[in-house]
Amino acid sequence: MGKKKQKIILPPELPPEVPDEEVEVSDEDLDFVGQHSDYANFMSRIDTPSLTKHVSRVADANEGALELLYEKKLRKKLENKETEENTLEVDPIDALPLKTADGQLYYRRVVKESKEAADDGELIKDPALVKPTKAEKRLKTKKLRKEAKKQAKEEEVQQTPQEEVLDEVKKELTAEEANEKKKYKFAELGTTLLTDPESNIRLLKEMLEISKDGDSAIVILGLKSLLAVFKDIIPGYRIRLPTEKEQEMKVSKDVKKMRFYESTLLSAYKAYVQKLVALQQQTVYQQVATRCLCTLLAAVPHFNYRESLLAAVVKDISSQDDVIRKLCCTAVKSLFTNEGKHGGEVTVEAVRRIAELVKGHNCQLHPDSLEVFLSLSFDEDLGKPERSDMDKKAKYKKFKKRKGSDESNQKPENDRKKSRKEMMSKTREEVNADYKAVSSDQDPQEQRKMQSKTLSAVFQTFFRVLKHTVQPKSEGSAHGAFGSHPLLDPCLNGIGKFAHLIDLDFMADLMQCLRKLAGNGSKSEDSSENSSCQLTVSERLRCCIVAFKVMRNNLDALNVDLQEFFIQLYNLILEYQPGRDDGDLLAEAMKIMLCDERQHDMQRAAAFIKRLSTFALSFRPAESMAALVTVKHLLQKNAKCRNLLENDAGGGSVAGAIAKFQPQVLDPNLCGALASVLWELNLLMKHYHPSVSSIAATISTMNANTNQVFRVHTSPQQAYTELLKENESFATPSAIKRTNSKRKGSDTVPAQGSDLNSPGEIDETAIRSKLSEHFSLLRDIQENERLRSEMDRTTQSLNLYETYRKQKKKRKTRSD
Amino acid sequence: MRPLDENETTAVFNKLHKFVGNNLKNIVLESQAHEGPEPNPGRYCFRMQKNRVYYVSESLVKRATNVKRDKLVSLGTQIGKFTKGGKFHLTVQCLNLLAANAKHKVWLKPTSEMKFLYGKSVSKSEVGRITESIQVNDGVVVFSMSDVPLGFGDAAKSTVDCRKMDPNGIVVHRHADIGEYLRSEADL
Repeated sequence: MGKKKQKIILPPELPPEVPDEEVEVSDEDLDFVGQHSDYANFMSRIDTPSLTKHVSRVADANEGALELLYEKKLRKKLENKETEENTLEVDPIDALPLKTADGQLYYRRVVKESKEAADDGELIKDPALVKPTKAEKRLKTKKLRKEAKKQAKEEEVQQTPQEEVLDEVKKELTAEEANEKKKYKFAELGTTLLTDPESNIRLLKEMLEISKDGDSAIVILGLKSLLAVFKDIIPGYRIRLPTEKEQEMKVSKDVKKMRFYESTLLSAYKAYVQKLVALQQQTVYQQVATRCLCTLLAAVPHFNYRESLLAAVVKDISSQDDVIRKLCCTAVKSLFTNEGKHGGEVTVEAVRRIAELVKGHNCQLHPDSLEVFLSLSFDEDLGKPERSDMDKKAKYKKFKKRKGSDESNQKPENDRKKSRKEMMSKTREEVNADYKAVSSDQDPQEQRKMQSKTLSAVFQTFFRVLKHTVQPKSEGSAHGAFGSHPLLDPCLNGIGKFAHLIDLDFMADLMQCLRKLAGNGSKSEDSSENSSCQLTVSERLRCCIVAFKVMRNNLDALNVDLQEFFIQLYNLILEYQPGRDDGDLLAEAMKIMLCDERQHDMQRAAAFIKRLSTFALSFRPAESMAALVTVKHLLQKNAKCRNLLENDAGGGSVAGAIAKFQPQVLDPNLCGALASVLWELNLLMKHYHPSVSSIAATISTMNANTNQVFRVHTSPQQAYTELLKENESFATPSAIKRTNSKRKGSDTVPAQGSDLNSPGEIDETAIRSKLSEHFSLLRDIQENERLRSEMDRTTQSLNLYETYRKQKKKRKTRSD
Repeated sequence: MRPLDENETTAVFNKLHKFVGNNLKNIVLESQAHEGPEPNPGRYCFRMQKNRVYYVSESLVKRATNVKRDKLVSLGTQIGKFTKGGKFHLTVQCLNLLAANAKHKVWLKPTSEMKFLYGKSVSKSEVGRITESIQVNDGVVVFSMSDVPLGFGDAAKSTVDCRKMDPNGIVVHRHADIGEYLRSEADL
């Protein structure tokens, strides 16, 4: 039985000892099997190879031959694999396999030819796509290491002869082919590096060597592939090279290996960064180098040589080239927003460098370079958690005390509980310690120090910009490429944002500066200074707004009245031009300065009411709406100002000391607006825009005597934006009409002179033709009427004549 | 009654300038800004009578010449007096003139108005509102929250320093207040 089994199951490859035909299967046997088919099941489950092995050993027949055969088979398989690998290249970035949920590994495979083309683009896009999480990475690296260990020995042996061969071949190839080869080489080296960085770290140097090539395309490619490699293999900690003492000490093999790895990585990285910085000066490589630097800075801000990275990036932050500037700005922004990556040190460094840059360039930089500061974030509660911790500890102590007393009462209960508690606390402590070590949480005090350093640098910059704007410029100084005060806008924004963090000591200076800036335009008019230091209306408005924000954020205790800024706003309203200046800013200023302020001088409020309603008469509906909303606010808060709504011009006791309204006076406190009448509202009630006319109507119905409670739902800003939107839909048809007429005009009047003149003339001709049409029609009608009346008259006379003849006949007949 | 001499004029103007700043020119030059009983008051000017300084319209000055010097008790608005030592002091009567042109103002909380009217100085806790950019020793006009002028005085602290001060510290040293009309009626 045993023998038969063996023969049936023998693998077909083995040379059969006995041909199958010789074995005779009797009918009885078949029957037996058929009857007990259930028992025959085991046959299918027999482990053939082990059986054969066992049997062959027992048989002790031609063992050597068998082994040879197996070996041959294995070799064949290996060869097959190699050929497969050659035809199918793995993309360097995609070298790490994807692991699906069911545990299968997928390699991204790209055919060699297409890879080159893809390489270029993917380097920029892919990292985010392919970048695995740390846990994944660890898993993969473990697996890869296992595989790689097997191959490593073979590869290292194989690589040296390969290079030799390559070198020989290279000489024969043309330059282009050599380039192609280099590209392949990059791909190869990158892939091997990524699969097992620890054992292949020496390849980095090779890559660096190749990227020193003269051909720019190759260099760029090399920089990019190196970037990808570095980004992946740089560890999450800062490498500290061992001191000499440490080097002398005896260390284990693993540590030695690690040290070698780290030092090689570091030196290669250093060379790479230096190369990038050097290449940044050349126009050909400028963009690529900057991009590499920025990506590195954003990805590994904790690593060594970040200072040089930072220096290179900050230097280009106000570059003329839009792309480079954007890159640098986003890199620095990412530094500020992801402070956890580097623990804040780099933030301080970056802010300092920017401050120095601003100082060095005398504030003539692109606005973007200060815009960066807006993404800084300061944690105000840094000191607090500590305190709360202390509180907790104290509480805990108290609690413990109480508990202790309780325990003393219940002492005899059992010791087991106590020991368990101890265990618990011990483990908790351990866990806490571990957590701290892992999260590498910083001392909050340290962090605070860092923050205050950052803040001081930021404000230093802001104040520098302000001071620079304030001081009048000499005639010769050119404005540079960025206008006269390029940094003022972001600077004001920043001050507005961080207003609550300003030290009170600076406050006085800051307000002084802002006051000067806000009053800049009018002063220069007075003293006829050169116009170069004049700010636009929007900038001055912004100054006012920022001043109010600063004040509001800092003083809840003391209510300070910013008289100067009210005067500025009062005059700025006159200078405002709808097209040129930012209406949003004006609305914001109205909101912050007039609506939000709790109390006003009566005189001042009246002056603003008067001026705003005058202003509303002459501007677009959106602006006038904002102004009217503000007027409503003011009238509701200041009951006395409702005297303005009465129909007789007050004066004397009502108006205070000033008897007559003087609209040309600059100071709202002195213009005596209380003595005037708000006649503007009457006109505004007939405004063409329905919402403006309606709000004017509601304001004019407010009564001076009754103290009604009004509610205002909208702020001037809201009103402004709403109407602006509405207006756009409102205005589009008319705009289309105008363009139509323009087209007509250009058809009828060929080769018109300037664009500015043409619309007027076109309108004239069009109007003339239309008018002439109209009047000719009228004339026709008149002519018609005249003719008709003439006809009537003639028919009448004819009728008359006929009747006359008839009568004559009658008479004749009578007489006859 | 006589016009002020040079020294007196500088003393008066310095004092007024402390309170009204550049608005001084409104007081001196722009006569039409102030409404008096007369239809054509002419320019306003300062006159001295028995050590007291008056702010008078020109037409009134002309008419006042009809009265003998020692018989003339008062004319126009008194704004201050010279002490025996030759120093100039502003008196309460000039309050309206100052209030209309004031540069630095302090508004008092309603609860502390009374205290001020009894002749106390203004402490920080009593300040309802204060104009920015007040420097030490500037002249400050004190208002109630409803914008009624109550008196005037000297700033003891600048606005910036006020923030850091404790609530009991003095912000304004009182010079004069409208309570004097009752308290020292005879001396005015």
